[in-house]
Amino acid sequence: MTYFHLAIGLFIVTYVFIISEKVHRTITAICGAVLMIVLGVINQHQAIEGIDFNTLGLLIGMMVVVGIARQSGFFQSAALYVAQVGKGKPIPIFLLLSITIALFSAILDNVTAVLLMVPVTFVLTNHLKVSPYPFLVGTILFANIGGAATLIGDPPNILIGSAANLSFNDFLVHLAPVSLIIMVVTLGLLYFWFRKEFVANPAAQKKIMAFQPKEAITDWPLLYKSLGVISLIVVGFFTHGITHLEGATIAMGGAALLLLMTAIDPEDHLKEIEWTTIFFFMGLFVLVAALEHVGAIRILAEQLLVLTKGSQTSTVIVTLWGAALLSAVVDNIPFVATMIPLIEDIGTLTNLDLQPLWWALALGADIGGNATLVGASANVVVNGMAEKENVHIGFLRYMKVAIPMTLVALSISTLYLFLRYL
Amino acid sequence: MDFSIKKYMQKKVHTVRETDTVTDVLSLMIHKKTNGVVVVDDENVVVGILSSWDVIKHIVPDYLEDDRHLAAFEAGDVFEKRVHEVAHDPVSKFMTQDVHTAKESDTLISAITMLAEFHIRQLPIVDDSGHLVGYVNRTDMKQAAGDILRISAK
Repeated sequence: MTYFHLAIGLFIVTYVFIISEKVHRTITAICGAVLMIVLGVINQHQAIEGIDFNTLGLLIGMMVVVGIARQSGFFQSAALYVAQVGKGKPIPIFLLLSITIALFSAILDNVTAVLLMVPVTFVLTNHLKVSPYPFLVGTILFANIGGAATLIGDPPNILIGSAANLSFNDFLVHLAPVSLIIMVVTLGLLYFWFRKEFVANPAAQKKIMAFQPKEAITDWPLLYKSLGVISLIVVGFFTHGITHLEGATIAMGGAALLLLMTAIDPEDHLKEIEWTTIFFFMGLFVLVAALEHVGAIRILAEQLLVLTKGSQTSTVIVTLWGAALLSAVVDNIPFVATMIPLIEDIGTLTNLDLQPLWWALALGADIGGNATLVGASANVVVNGMAEKENVHIGFLRYMKVAIPMTLVALSISTLYLFLRYL
Repeated sequence: MDFSIKKYMQKKVHTVRETDTVTDVLSLMIHKKTNGVVVVDDENVVVGILSSWDVIKHIVPDYLEDDRHLAAFEAGDVFEKRVHEVAHDPVSKFMTQDVHTAKESDTLISAITMLAEFHIRQLPIVDDSGHLVGYVNRTDMKQAAGDILRISAK
């Protein structure tokens, strides 16, 4: 057996274990990565070179900042305020809350956004005496749609941005517009789908209007500090073209500044970092580096080009729909991590314009995750929170709404990519 | 003076089974005016412990526990709704499984150290094979300390 076969075999076994969830995906990824080195597919030096520390730094920095910021109660307060803007009526609340989730998950990662919004959703639907189901479905869909809009909105975007050297502004210019269109269309369709569920309740309306959303803010100084730092981070991303500071530097800079301003002992705040995610990424990077090293990814790239006959249009469309299909069933992070070197290889094999391919990959991976309850981490988290409150979203019941919505979103993406780049 | 666990422990312990429900536990606690019950299996072996605290925490919905400042905004009828919802949940769902126990032959200092170290209010006393034989709580330990200082209840 050659290293080539060994690497592919090990990679596939690791992937199967990740999908089956028999063992925690982080443990699986680390085991696979270490085996790649121990069995001699790559050496440790090559493995470490494969780890994208810019992605890790950006993730860790944002986790620290968001972990501190959410303690201020700002996000919950904003959501309660939105309910008042909606005059305490179910339809405007549903629409405004959905937009809020999309906005939050464009700045925060999707899981954090839903962790903040689902409790508020329960509180509001308990008042309104309406089923939380449409709201929860909306939470999932808009978390993933909003996450697609920015560099920091969804981990696949961070991976792509870091590998392809695409800036925060690039994502805003290229992905935010289509994300916005998808949001508006999905909002309209969801309203139409669930319209019978939204029955107004005058008593609830009165109670919601009597809320003092400011009372949800537990720490004003923390709120000012964390919003200040988040703004600075965004400014840092905006001005990347001038300063040439990379994502990890900006996010870590923000984290350091906020820790400096708030923490007596950083231990508690550093616990907010989801180390399981970070180690999962590290393991994946090494696995993919090994696959790349033995030339397996190059072969996959060649196969894809044979399939698309090397045409720009079909390569972009196949990437979009293929990414969506796979992200609906597999976690989109390992998938995107594998696709990145593949697209880089397409760049060296052909003279295709790579940018549209990156956007197709990001859109497919982010939006495709909406199709099933296991398509993205945010979906799993929302389902788990709902189950605990005896609200059963249901795998098939969810797909009945989500698959049409995802198909519409992908059609919009196809049209957008076609009109803008092809 | 005899300052042993054996002297200060209560021999009559209120117990429930894992399959008993929230309603059963509340009814026992209210009728017997106690905040602590021990969970035992068919052989009287300790498998868990319950305080009224565990019941309260079980009534609080998880989404509010994660997000305390939201509770002030929650609809008023959620308390009633939740109590009805959890009324038939089995003890196994909300008992503390990791029970600290002591033996009759253990010293009082080891018992109070355990209460203090783990911030617990009650300590089941078991024999060598884990069967429940007694129970001490904060009140019993307070009594022992009072006896040393010759403080009488009168």
